[in-house]
Amino acid sequence: MEELKIGVFICNCGSNIAHHVDVDAVREAVEAMPGIAIARSYKYMCSNPGQEMIARDIREHQLNRVVVAACSPRMHEKTFRNACRNGGLNPYLCEMANIREQCSWVHSDQLAATEKAKALTNAAINRVRYHEPLESLTAEMCPATLVIGGGIAGLTAALELADAAHQVYLVERTATLGGNLARVDLTAPHLDSARDLLTERITRVRANSRITLMLNSELQSLAGYVGNYAAIIRTKNGSGEVQERKVDVGNVVVATGYQEFDAGRITHYGHGKLPNVVTSFEFEQMLRKGRIETRHGKLPQYAAIIHCVGSRNKEFHPYCSRVCCMTALKYAHELKSANPACYVSDIYVDMHAFGKGHEDFYKTTSEVKTLFLMFEKNERPVVRKAGPNDDCEMLIEVNETLSRERIEIPADLIILMVGMEARADSGEVARLVNISQDQEGWFMESHPKLDPVATTTDGIYIAGTCAAPKDIPDTVAQARAAAARILGKIAKGKIEIDGVFAEVNEDRCSGCRMCNELCPYSAIEFNDQTRRSHVIPAACKACGACVAACPSGAIKGRHFTVEQLHAQIDGVLA
Amino acid sequence: MSFEPKIVGFLCNWCSYTGADLAGTSRIQYPPNIRVIRVMCSARIEPDFVLRALASGADGVLICGCHPGDCHYSEGNYKAMRRYPLLKRMLKDYGVDNDRVRLEWVSASEGQRFADIVTDMTERVRALGPLRIKTDLQTDMVER
Repeated sequence: MEELKIGVFICNCGSNIAHHVDVDAVREAVEAMPGIAIARSYKYMCSNPGQEMIARDIREHQLNRVVVAACSPRMHEKTFRNACRNGGLNPYLCEMANIREQCSWVHSDQLAATEKAKALTNAAINRVRYHEPLESLTAEMCPATLVIGGGIAGLTAALELADAAHQVYLVERTATLGGNLARVDLTAPHLDSARDLLTERITRVRANSRITLMLNSELQSLAGYVGNYAAIIRTKNGSGEVQERKVDVGNVVVATGYQEFDAGRITHYGHGKLPNVVTSFEFEQMLRKGRIETRHGKLPQYAAIIHCVGSRNKEFHPYCSRVCCMTALKYAHELKSANPACYVSDIYVDMHAFGKGHEDFYKTTSEVKTLFLMFEKNERPVVRKAGPNDDCEMLIEVNETLSRERIEIPADLIILMVGMEARADSGEVARLVNISQDQEGWFMESHPKLDPVATTTDGIYIAGTCAAPKDIPDTVAQARAAAARILGKIAKGKIEIDGVFAEVNEDRCSGCRMCNELCPYSAIEFNDQTRRSHVIPAACKACGACVAACPSGAIKGRHFTVEQLHAQIDGVLA
Repeated sequence: MSFEPKIVGFLCNWCSYTGADLAGTSRIQYPPNIRVIRVMCSARIEPDFVLRALASGADGVLICGCHPGDCHYSEGNYKAMRRYPLLKRMLKDYGVDNDRVRLEWVSASEGQRFADIVTDMTERVRALGPLRIKTDLQTDMVER
């Protein structure tokens, strides 16, 4: 083994670390340790001068290992690996000790924090002795993409990719394209027709030879890894026969949309029992037919709109569905346009007018003499059938927040603004493409702010309302962003596979195949000839489940080897 | 001077380590007795690591992973969960008190929960006093 020359770089992080950790004491404690060629502390190690110092020291002192005691590796591991690369050192020969997030920021006792910082730095030094240089691998990127869902998100992503001259397989479960948007008449706040928005996309999708449209189809399975996925699509033809087709794709866009909240779950609104209580989607049907009327064919004299049906409520969904407030204002506008004599009550919790043009829309529609009544989100209004002497179909009792009065209002037609919820089968989709869901069932982004279209699985992107309630502009933006991310990868042509993965020492493998079943990515193959298992590096995500389970100790988890972890354990306890 | 236990924490990268980082960014204070070792997934934690930590001077070991159903690798935490009772049974034979080794789920948003667990565990292990294990664990571990 070569002689170890370890450089230790301890960051003050301004006063973030130095305020609670005696950085010089840490440096003094480590510099006398065997193998330490140089130990330095510096104000901001992640700054350009800090990084250049590391690179320069690597060259000048021929360092072959680097330890950076600073913030969380989740914050700056990449930065310091790069600094090592710039100094001519393999980036995996670097290890970080987290003396900020897990030390100086959480322990105010300076003595104890300094002792802990020493232990963590010592553990990193111990560990880095066993580090090995690793090289990343490359694999081909298949330029075709699978888009799941034929709503506005899926259509947009498919067009964006196909317009850039790449093959797209667009899979839609139903027989028609358009998704939930196809059930809408006019869109808020500009009152342009949803049909027009969709027709343009659908016509272009149908005409594009690079888009293979698969209606009445579902994803059956997805195997492989980024750049090289094999998808099995099941299609039901007109006579009910099922056909399966395998397509090779490099990336997947999940655009499966949402389902509407079942208004019948809130019993005191009377949906399903009182004939003139309708959901927003049922009202859209009336609008598309061009006739707003009660079930008895009468023009409603009194109309009421109830907001947040299933949304912003601890009993059902705590979140805001984002589109309903503007849609409700659109309804008020349309009710008034159809019959200026109609009394419209808008019964709301809060008016959310967050988007571009929304506040203006709120102003103009509120000028058409709509009666606004506010209620507490957990104290819902109650709907009941009117008596024979009333001149209306139903009565709504509201505890009005602003006036603090209990108000009874007449209604011939009640529109329930049903919220969005994750589709009942979203769990199945998540399992098929191996992505996560949050507590509400929405698909989770890789990072909610900085990486909102990628997921934690490479090559799987999410767009539209399958990730959370969204309006059309946000959905389209996300679909285009997902397509852009994929186009970037296709343009690169190859994918880089991290050097950290598991590998089987075939001399020690007993061929028990225990690891084959354990691997959540089917990344371990069994060779029938040699009776040994081996790992497909590109498919391995380096979780280490197989490493820990192998009864022969034949699997090495690169960068998380037994030797490295043992050294780290001993190091924190020294 | 009162006894200050040493506790080794094995935390998965995606949920629990991120949760512990969040405790830091939120400046939530907890006892400095824990020293964390990061692994990619709780499924990587070999029972051997726990034994090694106890044999090398740890008074307690905390294992943290994503909540069931939330694993970044879809089901790694279930594997950790299945190994755990076997490990506990073995530790009992070595005379290691139940409170010294714990498996907990901490999500990336649960900085407070991480701090609470560490605080509680530190108090419990401090009350138990230094770990005195039957010598065979030490010999077993050294021989490995």
